[in-house]
Amino acid sequence: MSEIEAPAEPPVAGRSIAGRWLPALEMTFIYLLSIGGALLISAVLVSITGNSWQTVFGALLDGALLGPGRWGETLAVAAPMLLVALGMVIGVKAGLFNIGQEGQLLMGAMAMAFVGTKLDGPGGLLLIGGLALGMVAGGGYAALAAVMRFRRGVPEVISTLLLVFIAFQVVGFAVTTDWVLRDLDPGRPSRASTSAPLPDDVRLPIVHIFGNEFPVGIIIALILAGIVAFMLNRTLWGFRIRVLGHNPKVAHKIGVGASRMGTRALFLSGGLAGLAGAVMLSGGGSAYRLSPGFSTNIGWQGLLVALLAQSRPLVAIPMALLFASLRTGAGFLAATGVERKIVDVVQGLLVLALLVPPAVQLIRERRRAVASVGEES
Amino acid sequence: MTQSSETAGNLPAVLEAKGMTKRFGSVLACDDVDLILRPGEIHGILGENGAGKSTLMKLLGGLILPDRGSIVIDGKPRRFVEPLDAARLGIGMVHQHYSLVEALTVWENVALGETGALSRERIRERVIAIGERYGLEVDPDAHVRDLSAGLRQRVEIIKSLRREPRIIILDEPTSVLTPEESEQLFEVLGDGVRREGWAVALVSHKLEEVLQATDRITIMRHGRVVEQVLTAEADAPSLARAMVGRPVTLRAGTAAIGSTFEQMLDPGPEASSDGRSPTLEIADATLSAPDGALLLDGLSLEVRPGEIVGVAGVEGNGQTHLSEVLSSLLTLGGGGVMVDGVEIPTGKAGAMASAGVVVIPADRYSSGCVPEMTVAENLLLSSMHKMATRGILRRDEITARALELIDQFDIHVPGPDVPLGQLSGGNQQRVVLARALSFAPKVLVAHQPTRGLDVGAIEYIGERLRAAADGGIGVLLISTDLGEIAALADRIVVIYRGAIIGGMDRSEFDIERLGLLLGGSVGAEGAA
Repeated sequence: MSEIEAPAEPPVAGRSIAGRWLPALEMTFIYLLSIGGALLISAVLVSITGNSWQTVFGALLDGALLGPGRWGETLAVAAPMLLVALGMVIGVKAGLFNIGQEGQLLMGAMAMAFVGTKLDGPGGLLLIGGLALGMVAGGGYAALAAVMRFRRGVPEVISTLLLVFIAFQVVGFAVTTDWVLRDLDPGRPSRASTSAPLPDDVRLPIVHIFGNEFPVGIIIALILAGIVAFMLNRTLWGFRIRVLGHNPKVAHKIGVGASRMGTRALFLSGGLAGLAGAVMLSGGGSAYRLSPGFSTNIGWQGLLVALLAQSRPLVAIPMALLFASLRTGAGFLAATGVERKIVDVVQGLLVLALLVPPAVQLIRERRRAVASVGEES
Repeated sequence: MTQSSETAGNLPAVLEAKGMTKRFGSVLACDDVDLILRPGEIHGILGENGAGKSTLMKLLGGLILPDRGSIVIDGKPRRFVEPLDAARLGIGMVHQHYSLVEALTVWENVALGETGALSRERIRERVIAIGERYGLEVDPDAHVRDLSAGLRQRVEIIKSLRREPRIIILDEPTSVLTPEESEQLFEVLGDGVRREGWAVALVSHKLEEVLQATDRITIMRHGRVVEQVLTAEADAPSLARAMVGRPVTLRAGTAAIGSTFEQMLDPGPEASSDGRSPTLEIADATLSAPDGALLLDGLSLEVRPGEIVGVAGVEGNGQTHLSEVLSSLLTLGGGGVMVDGVEIPTGKAGAMASAGVVVIPADRYSSGCVPEMTVAENLLLSSMHKMATRGILRRDEITARALELIDQFDIHVPGPDVPLGQLSGGNQQRVVLARALSFAPKVLVAHQPTRGLDVGAIEYIGERLRAAADGGIGVLLISTDLGEIAALADRIVVIYRGAIIGGMDRSEFDIERLGLLLGGSVGAEGAA
């Protein structure tokens, strides 16, 4: 990636390092070291709470990768997370902090549920239409925040966040109201309010590879990651978005209006979250049924993925995979009798571990500069 | 202030820097620089922007680490790893860009960096005591956001004096001060030097100031020391020559040296633009602030192709609003702007730019450039759409074009892909200028284009503006610097309270009448 981190302060000693490969290798090593450290602390913690760390890590690994059908599951979780993160990245690049992905995702899923269960037509068409409408729904929902931002000056950080809670209520209303989306089948398995399941032909195809259900959603997400990276760095549109994000005045001067471009950016940002919701539902999330708790924090976690990737679309890919692994791995822990809360702690430690390397890098460069002065004098 | 210079030379050095070297990428910012600071002496560091003055000061203050070189304080070699190390040894720094928290009060800002429990009373008393002792009075309970630039600087100085430093480093302290405020600052410094035996390093690119306030001068160019002289033995032309590396002869250059108007007003080429229809026409422009105050009050103005129109005026009479209207950043309440006879909607994103009006703003950070983006991206900001095929950028062409401009405008830069923020101020300004001129505008608006720049850069920019006008561009030069306007403009108009209240051609230049106009008194004649 060729983005440049903002050097607000004067260049710090030792920033310029001749070779490019050595530092990259070094950073990989530091990442491994700090993740290893986090795992070590986690192991100690698990042992202290009276469990065997071998069992816990074994369960995590089984749940995320090794168990039958598990890596397919992990990829299925990673797909919407990555889509949400990409949406966040677009917003940040335009200087807009859309943190309402959880709600936009719900709106996208609701659009998918509507198309799938209420409209008639050929399955393939309904599927594609549902995905598209999901994107529009999520984007439109985020665009509400854009309208408030550019018409009335309401900060989008606040409006997008508050819209999440409204989205929960809207979905709750939809799935409990007969004439909207509620499942009217008297023989439905659970008494909880949900929508009817998507018909078989309005679901993303399932490909079986090595006993895993390979989710098509991850392919969509990966392709979009590539497209977003390309758009931001190699196109005029991305250039304009970045100018807007850094300096709205300069952008205005060169003909990039904040409200037009910003609204588009927020629409796309929310659209990707909406698509994430549609992909989740049509990919088999909560048994193809929409329910109020459908989003299960994927929106929030995707936000975290984008933050840790420092708004670099391609770096978001490994981050999303890591977080998805933790999530699916955690699902297996219950069987070992370990408290789920421990997993939350482990997850927290890993987030910290990912924040450590950039800090270490800075300190090391400074030390190195000091040392080189020492040798000379 | 120079009376101590005879004795000062004999005192032992309090700080001695030897062979200081610092490289940023491929740019050698400081190259084997020696500097000696003695107690009871103000040492001026003079040089162009990008000559390495600020870098040298940051090395002395422990803000950045040298690649090579040593610092000896009181005869002992020292090594700074962080700014606090320098502070502990009695070095106080006053930075070019203030590091104050606007939302906090004066005493809270002074307390920043303290450890342990804070005593509000003790710090307030300290602020007042320092204020009285050095003539730096400032209300300790005032919020910094409410203070003028001069008072803010006082707070900065009090911050550094709190640790009772013996060595005080000031990096371009007067660049944002009014002449009176500068005068006061030099009094404070002179006082401290006499009474407390401070050793002061004063970084500046203003010749007058260095000649007036210092005892000894070190001149830097391209990261090296080119000359060290006693102020008593120096004069402005020789210093300017040493700074730039050649005699400064151009009209544009004389403005910086501060010669008299008579010298500058050689007749100059007669403006060849008479009779041509104006390329830029502002008619009866009005603009109100949200509270109803009139910012532009029926301003009318014409610029013909090939002429430089200088808009003179005391700061705060609507110059910034005029420049922002021409940048499409403000929407007029009444009146209009026409380019080549076509009415251009004001305030519409990109409208002025696509009509061929290009603005070099007074504050390049506010609307002139994007420091986080690369030099190439900044150079091509307004013409990037020409560098794309169906929306996809042609990167090789962008790099090639950027290299061409870097070469053509003599921008010192490690490469086109370096973030603009890493360049020195003068080079950043060259990037802004290069972009403006390479855009082939019809109208070039330059608002304080040389503020904060050094002789060489001022000369260069003046030359470029002249060349642009000779090439048929209409140039509007908005400046509070009369010297600059007198040196460059074919026609001078005066802005006062949001309106043009009078003007004169170069041939009928009358300093007295200009002075009256600046003060708002319209003489016998009406507006231009």
